[in-house]
Amino acid sequence: MDTLSLMGAGFLHAMSPLNLFAMALATAVGVTIGCLPGLSAAMGVALLLPVTFGMDPATGLIILGGIYCGAIFGGSISAILIHTPGTPASAATAIEGYQLTLKGEAARALTVACLASFCGGLLSCISLYFFSPPLAQLAMKFKSPEYFWLSLFGLTIIAGVSSKSMLKGLMSGVLGLLISTVGMDPMEGVPRFMFGQSALYNGVDVTCALIGLFSMSQVLMLAERKIRARPAATKFKNKFALSFPEIRRLSPTIIRSWIIGNIIGILPGAGASIACFLGYNEARRFSRHREEFGKGSIEGVAGSEAANNAVTGGSLIPMLTLGIPGESVTAVLMGGLIIQGLQPGPELFTTYAGMTYTFFAGFVLVQFFMLGIGMLGCKGFAQISRLSDAILIPSIFLLCVVGSYAIHNNVVEVVIMLIFGGIGYLARKFDMNATAIVLGLILGPIGERGLRRSLLLSDGDPSILFSTPLCWALIALCALGLLSPLLMGRMERKIAGKAAAPSDRA
Amino acid sequence: MKKLFVLLAAALLLAPVSSMAAWAPSGDVNVIVAYKAGSGTDTGARILASEAEKNIGRTLVINNLPGADGKIGWTQLVNAKPDGQTIGFINLPTFTTLAIQPDSTFSVADVVPIANHLSETGVVAVKADSPIKSLKDLVAACKEKPTMRASTNGVEASNHTAAQLLAKSAGFDYKAIPYGGTADQLLALRQGEVDFTCAKVADVAPLIKGDKPELRVLGVFSEERLPEMPDVPTLKEEGFYDKWYGAARGLVAPRGTPQEIIDFYVEAFRKTMQDPKNIEAHKKAGLNLDFKDNKQYADLIAEQENFCRDTVSKLYSK
Repeated sequence: MDTLSLMGAGFLHAMSPLNLFAMALATAVGVTIGCLPGLSAAMGVALLLPVTFGMDPATGLIILGGIYCGAIFGGSISAILIHTPGTPASAATAIEGYQLTLKGEAARALTVACLASFCGGLLSCISLYFFSPPLAQLAMKFKSPEYFWLSLFGLTIIAGVSSKSMLKGLMSGVLGLLISTVGMDPMEGVPRFMFGQSALYNGVDVTCALIGLFSMSQVLMLAERKIRARPAATKFKNKFALSFPEIRRLSPTIIRSWIIGNIIGILPGAGASIACFLGYNEARRFSRHREEFGKGSIEGVAGSEAANNAVTGGSLIPMLTLGIPGESVTAVLMGGLIIQGLQPGPELFTTYAGMTYTFFAGFVLVQFFMLGIGMLGCKGFAQISRLSDAILIPSIFLLCVVGSYAIHNNVVEVVIMLIFGGIGYLARKFDMNATAIVLGLILGPIGERGLRRSLLLSDGDPSILFSTPLCWALIALCALGLLSPLLMGRMERKIAGKAAAPSDRA
Repeated sequence: MKKLFVLLAAALLLAPVSSMAAWAPSGDVNVIVAYKAGSGTDTGARILASEAEKNIGRTLVINNLPGADGKIGWTQLVNAKPDGQTIGFINLPTFTTLAIQPDSTFSVADVVPIANHLSETGVVAVKADSPIKSLKDLVAACKEKPTMRASTNGVEASNHTAAQLLAKSAGFDYKAIPYGGTADQLLALRQGEVDFTCAKVADVAPLIKGDKPELRVLGVFSEERLPEMPDVPTLKEEGFYDKWYGAARGLVAPRGTPQEIIDFYVEAFRKTMQDPKNIEAHKKAGLNLDFKDNKQYADLIAEQENFCRDTVSKLYSK
């Protein structure tokens, strides 16, 4: 059978009533898991993995794929409504999404998130279907020096998100990097800043820190104002449909984020939490409505959500073709494949092509279920933003505690979450930048390992960091990332100056 | 969750009654796996658990308690109630390595062996297109150039120990580059970032198959050649490290678990591991079944403890 007919047969298999039912259920479960802070996509997939063992491999994989995609989208719901990213993949969505909620436009923000997730996920299937083997080679090209530059490029986002004060943004980023050094030293195996706490062995858990910085600090901020009915409730807009010009405005952002998410997804060790920030930042860089950023921009929401869902398809590529799991979710999926007796590698596209293409087709169809669930639900979900603080504050607090405990069933992480809640609260009070702290925390370990391993490989000779064309390409991106906010800022001021000048005279 | 709680409570109430007869678990059996769901240990554990249910008569619930390289899960395992409702998987030599550390929260005496499940022999591998064709080539190259690089799965982790065993026994120096785990360590070799690596046979098995294998296995850490790769010499044959080295995973119960419970599980897992359906499932997943009963397994654990105490500590002293 040639590939095309295999693909067609895959769709036929995937559309069996049982598979369709499994997809609908799995996606719904995924969305629920995703929007609860502390329950990440990886945890959801791991939780449901044992359930799939008795099933047909394709159905089992489709269920896991549905949970994966659903969870990555689901994280945006709580990010938008209560400034609590359900998974680290939605951290960047919270920035603009919550601002929209404050403006009473929660329903619209959710629609954008859902549409962007759908497009990102669906587009990522294109590369999964047609470009898996060549794209997998990209994963082979990324070595230690490249990871160092990638993390540095990620850190340039700090320049973009610190709109208020560059200095405080950089301070926040450095704080994040410092916190990321807690735990076992990756090169020497020496404990660092652990204070005898074995829970800190693997470092501060990003999800735990994120819940503290974003959600717990939000609880403190809300509680500080007197508990009262929210002003936002009065100006709640029930509008959730998007106009055609709005969709047209979003499409370049979505396509950009698809490419970013897809590439990040393919690289082992990166993942959705980095992709969402890169997608958000590029949306901001290229936006014609940059003034909206920070005050609630639908492009920001779309940029982040399209990117994190594009990771899903991308991350399957190296796992299926090379047996290299790109992130924790695909590592669990790979375990699932092996238990089913399927070894990742070329055989999946030859001997087991029937199963593989059924899974791919299921992955495509899951995106539609996600769109349906999101669109049906968003009007209902948005009602949460109308709740008064008296209900919201204790509820979010409860979610924070339960969520941070659920990560490893460990009380120490609740304490860590509370400490980060305090840090996040102070950060907001002093105009520091919680997003920059999170960026430092996520990218610090990747950069540190990349740099130190490169230097270990080269006997301390730094020229290894400039040894490949890919290194230079990433260096160029870093330079662009650093300089463009400055140049753009200057240009904007010039334009603003010209526009303001005549009115001054008048 | 509530339902489960009620069931558990009911099970506890019924426990004294059922203990009248020959022992059998009175509810779902909690099986602690100290690594994440989907990890190698977890995969093996789940395959065995699903096959063992018919011989145990209860559902085996895998409870993943990952973190700190196994410490978190194993600490919970040794502190579990020794009533047969909780058993767990341990990994050798990691378990014994941690157990002999001065500040360890558990010791080897805190567990009662049930059965060994898998063993994976260590191997030495290079990229398929490497000019190094044999162990002798590798040793010669390393002696000539002491900056040959080997990727490991972490500082003093299992595969680093393997590389040290080879280097010390052959008398060469090399540079160990730590990567996060076995997948990353093998990726580094496939990318050509390092010159050789030591890993376990199951990890490299998918990469040495087919017409265009990516890797070449130079030698195995075993006293006898492995049946799945009869052409590959042992380190012993070539005059280097002369004992078996690898990883083994098996089942244990917390200290104080009564002998009749242990006997029950030994028989249940013996039956399971001899079951052709189970053997087939392990084969498909590339896992090397190696049943040892509680006595043989106790010997292996004791041997590994001595190995960690006497040999490993010397490997890393400078």
